[in-house]
Amino acid sequence: MNEHIVKAYEDELNTLTAECARMGGLTEAAVADALEAVVRRDQQMADSVVARDERLDALQADIERKAIRMIALRQPLANDLRRTVAAMKIANNLERVGDLGKNIAKRTIVIIDSDPMVPLTRSIERMGRLVVTRLKEVLDAYTASDLERAMSVWSRDDEVDEHYNSLFRELLTYMMGDPRTITACAHLLFVAKNLERIGDHATNIAEIIHYEITGDEAIATARPKTDALQRP
Amino acid sequence: MPQPPQSLPLRPRRGFVAQPVVLTGLAGGLALIALALASGAHLLLVLVLACALAAVTLVQARRARGEAGRLRAEVAQTHVEVADGALTLPYTSVLNALPDPVMVISAHEPDDLTGRRFVMVNRAGRRVLKIQREAGLLVTAIRDPDVLEVVDEALFGGLEGEAVYETGGVQERIFRAYARPLGASGDGARLALLVLHDETDIRRVERMRADFLANASHELRTPLASLSGFIETLRGHARGDEGARDRFLGIMHVQAERMSRLIDDLMSLSRIELNEHVRPLEDVDLVAALLDVVDALAPLARDKGVALEVETPPRGAVTITGDRDQVIQVAQNLVDNALKYSPAEGRIRILLQSDLSAEACVAPRMEPAARMSLLTPDHGPERFAALSVIDSGPGMDREHLPRLTERFYRVEGQKSGEKLGTGLGLAIVKHIVNRHRGGLAVESRPGHGAVFTAYFPLARTSAEVGGAPDEAPDDVIKLS
Repeated sequence: MNEHIVKAYEDELNTLTAECARMGGLTEAAVADALEAVVRRDQQMADSVVARDERLDALQADIERKAIRMIALRQPLANDLRRTVAAMKIANNLERVGDLGKNIAKRTIVIIDSDPMVPLTRSIERMGRLVVTRLKEVLDAYTASDLERAMSVWSRDDEVDEHYNSLFRELLTYMMGDPRTITACAHLLFVAKNLERIGDHATNIAEIIHYEITGDEAIATARPKTDALQRP
Repeated sequence: MPQPPQSLPLRPRRGFVAQPVVLTGLAGGLALIALALASGAHLLLVLVLACALAAVTLVQARRARGEAGRLRAEVAQTHVEVADGALTLPYTSVLNALPDPVMVISAHEPDDLTGRRFVMVNRAGRRVLKIQREAGLLVTAIRDPDVLEVVDEALFGGLEGEAVYETGGVQERIFRAYARPLGASGDGARLALLVLHDETDIRRVERMRADFLANASHELRTPLASLSGFIETLRGHARGDEGARDRFLGIMHVQAERMSRLIDDLMSLSRIELNEHVRPLEDVDLVAALLDVVDALAPLARDKGVALEVETPPRGAVTITGDRDQVIQVAQNLVDNALKYSPAEGRIRILLQSDLSAEACVAPRMEPAARMSLLTPDHGPERFAALSVIDSGPGMDREHLPRLTERFYRVEGQKSGEKLGTGLGLAIVKHIVNRHRGGLAVESRPGHGAVFTAYFPLARTSAEVGGAPDEAPDDVIKLS
């Protein structure tokens, strides 16, 4: 990266990236812990995820404030402007991910109330791990400014969707088989949906990274959606 | 000027004592390393801290010789310029040879996020954390909030701390992160040491044991119940019935064999999972391995009237880095599955393609069909060899695809012939392929057949190995 003549300017830019990375770490941990809370039926863990969400909100507000201040005072151009805007957008996405994580944690209390459904929680765990991995990869790509790695996350969005669809069917089968499980299954369905949306946010972040590095926005509409996965 | 700590927090194991190391300095550190190496790998922590001790001792010695001012200047410049060679210390090559990641972190103000930088990382650290540079922003290397917290405590509170650090990703590794304060340098920059100790093995063994028991007890119960049922009948009212006895013994034999197959598969799955994070190193001729499998299964295919069509490059043309037995197991399980589900007079195409990108490996081989990637390798520059097994069996509906590699998952309404499968074949394939840092994909069209594609990274040629960042010779890391 080109060095700026005003060192404070460079520092501010770096701070934005670093704050985003730290926020990313907190978000990753929140999602992973929320998942763990559901899978291991751990109420304490769920409570801690809910409590930590405020910190994420504060960080997001802080990053946004810093970015706006940066734009107002330094009037960054080209590369620097994209970096600033990208930090702001990524923080927004991460904040949403944090909220979804919190929502998963909140559902734990109802899920714990019901009897354990081992095959279902196992499927949730598989899907959740996939989503956490994607989030991690995209944040790695962000801190390393690695366009290729970001694009590999971007192009594999359909894997999460497939897991979601499969889980959806599995849950329906359970609910039809035993109506007493409906409450817990409905909550698990929301958990799955939340995970799926976290996956979407990871894809969004990949698109923002693409924009930050290349300046090209067109990619958001170019995703091959489920083209390769047409039903026979 | 704040003095660096006189002795580092050390946890002596097997009677090693910390204090003499400080006194004897570098020589002592190296001797301890030799001893530790001789005494086994679990002394790594001692070893690592010994190196750090040696570092501090050396730094102290230099200070005593009146170089304090110069050192201060260099520490102040750590993130701009690495030392000019004056502080190039020979023990860094020892640090580099360590299997555990070691990192020195500096910081100025608690609320200055960009101030926290790593100023030294050994080779294992660069590999595990996937960083190319020897210095940079700490958050670009580690984001885990727990680890950052213990590092902060070491930097600004002078406290020792530890946290669990999970790398995540497909090949997950679990480390225990130890943060230790290293005091402050002249200009107020505070230093801390971060050591990651690999606990993946221990955690895995724990998890495996639990999984194995759960699976084994659950899956063995069915055949066992059937066995004891027949035994009861044979001892009871069927005691004198010759015909029934023969029939029952036949069934019992089948059930007992099933149990033994199940145990074999479970054990082999456990073994593979335990080693999953250890990448195999041999060179394997994939064509030869595949042809061996085809030869072995040819009689079975002939009996069933199934035609095997094999399309491969010549022997020796495709070399992958792998474990030969396991690669054979992958090919065998895939072809075996195809055989089980093929109708009589069906045909199975076995296709081996080499030098593909990861995207090309999952490209469609059957149109139109539902497609799904069951395992995707972590992103890297590798080229792959892809083995596809294309059958003309009943295929599967799309909703089954994501769950195929689950243990004991069965597609409803399908039987794998008279010879019952254990439901572990594809799980084994997946774990082996993951160990090889490869991928697995499935395509299926109900009524027309299925395609399973396993792909493995090609062995790197010696020229490539020399130029790869991981193996690049970087004997000297400069501590500034």
